[in-house]
Amino acid sequence: MRTGWTGYAWAIGATLAATLAGFAMRGRFDLVNIAMVYLLAVVLVALYQSRGAAIAASVLCVAAFDVLFVPPEGTFTVHDAQYLLTFAIMLGVGLIVSRLVERVRRQAREQALLEIEAETERIRSALLASISHDLRTPLAVVAGASSTLVESGERMLPEARQALARSVFDQSHELSERVSKLLQMTRLDTGAIKVERDWTAMADVADSAVRRMSDRLAAHRLMVEIPADLPLVRVDAALIEQALGNLLENAAKHTPPGTIVRLRAKTDGQRLVLTVEDHGGDAADVDLERMFRKFQHGSMEGAAGGVGLGLAICRAIVRLHGGDCWAERTLGGGMTFRISLPLERPPEMPAETPYEAADGPATDDPRR
Amino acid sequence: MDPRPTILVVEDEPEIRRFLRSSLEAEGYRVAESATARRGVIDAGTHKPDVVIVDLGLPDFDGVEVVRQIRRWSTLPILILSARTQERAKIDAFEAGADDYVTKPFGIRELLARIKVALRHAARPQAGGAVLRFDRAVVDLERRTATRDEEALHLTPIEFRLLAALARHLGLVVTHRQLLVEVWGPSHAGDTHYLRIYVKQLRDKLEPDPLHPRHLVTEIGVGYRLVCSD
Repeated sequence: MRTGWTGYAWAIGATLAATLAGFAMRGRFDLVNIAMVYLLAVVLVALYQSRGAAIAASVLCVAAFDVLFVPPEGTFTVHDAQYLLTFAIMLGVGLIVSRLVERVRRQAREQALLEIEAETERIRSALLASISHDLRTPLAVVAGASSTLVESGERMLPEARQALARSVFDQSHELSERVSKLLQMTRLDTGAIKVERDWTAMADVADSAVRRMSDRLAAHRLMVEIPADLPLVRVDAALIEQALGNLLENAAKHTPPGTIVRLRAKTDGQRLVLTVEDHGGDAADVDLERMFRKFQHGSMEGAAGGVGLGLAICRAIVRLHGGDCWAERTLGGGMTFRISLPLERPPEMPAETPYEAADGPATDDPRR
Repeated sequence: MDPRPTILVVEDEPEIRRFLRSSLEAEGYRVAESATARRGVIDAGTHKPDVVIVDLGLPDFDGVEVVRQIRRWSTLPILILSARTQERAKIDAFEAGADDYVTKPFGIRELLARIKVALRHAARPQAGGAVLRFDRAVVDLERRTATRDEEALHLTPIEFRLLAALARHLGLVVTHRQLLVEVWGPSHAGDTHYLRIYVKQLRDKLEPDPLHPRHLVTEIGVGYRLVCSD
């Protein structure tokens, strides 16, 4: 570790402090106790500062102790040979402590690196597993259904043919969604995403997300509650729409058809909070934090499928905006997801001038 | 001469060109193909297509550039094919003059609907003087009157101007910037919050359910689209 100026400043400071303590103790305590105070100073510097600073502290303390306290005072001359041992021990303790500290620090660093590597490895293998399973499943359906159409489409009933063609269409869409999510997560991870903020009406974002997810939510009872006087937010609308869409998709996937999914927005003056609340499935043993990790398929995962990135992407997008995204349990079963976004004061907009308003022929008076 | 409308497809992937050709021909269109951007710009001049479909990811130069070059001499409708990851390029294409877009992967029904709107728009450009019919409201842009359930409805001059700007591209996407410049002037091109507030006002007045607008449709991150019979 490099020895910065602060390390040496610490060495000097510790020596000064020990010296002051030593002066206060002089006369009432044995010299050996004063030596202990210096030793404490050396140990403290060795614990919190670099090895170089520890050596400097040892040398300074030994010098100060010798000159100021060991008779004859005011000189480096040492009459009693036993103080030489004191000096050696002080230096030795300083070196040993700083060495130990260094080793512990290095181990901590190595441990942290190992953990990062393990996490990277987990994500890498999850990515491979995800690609091989989550992408191959829809591909298998596409290949199977389309080959059936090619081989024996002629002999099939029109409805059966239609159903096969439909599943090719649906599964290819699903495949595309999954590939987009993998790409999006990679772009979020590598910082390749530029947030293009602009004043946005949450009603627009909600409407767009709901429309995009309408097929998936068709079997659910979706309720949208957005107050008319909600303030504008300055966000990247396309990204927030994605985040919200992922929450809606998540609700659709993990709850039985016919259940209610509620999308709400409200504000407390500081933040705007979007809530997606579902009322299905047993959420009792769901890990509310873990579900936001990459490639986590929720514990309610059955045939629901997906790459397990929806929530991770949602949270990453929201955090890019200085907001947060978290999960709670819905009272009476199900999950509630919230997105909170910081509010800014929107710029003023001039009201339409009365002159201008009068200029149009439109009027409240129907007789005109 | 062939009476069928001609569609020029500028797309480098042969598989996509093939599927578009068979689907569009089945619907009664004549199809011309260009595999590169350069070729596409030339073919748009020589084939005299009624609609051009441009893929945004072309090998030689950008699809946005194709839109820009065609717009130098023609107002013919241009649809773009974009991927979900090309949001920025999509906006650039609209700024360059594209009229509408379809996101890959798309179903043919969606593409056909967009082509129909584009052709209708090309057949009578500047239909801005028309009467716009919403579910329960009617707006006469020329006479500047509006009613809802037979009752007179007050629209402000800016609201009329915004509707007119959207109606000039009826059924097509109009970007935020385009709307701001047309309604408030070039110095307000970045004042998106004006637009948000007025769109909300218009929805409150004209939409049967303002939370689920069917006529003033949001194209997230891009602009708005006015959908109504006229």
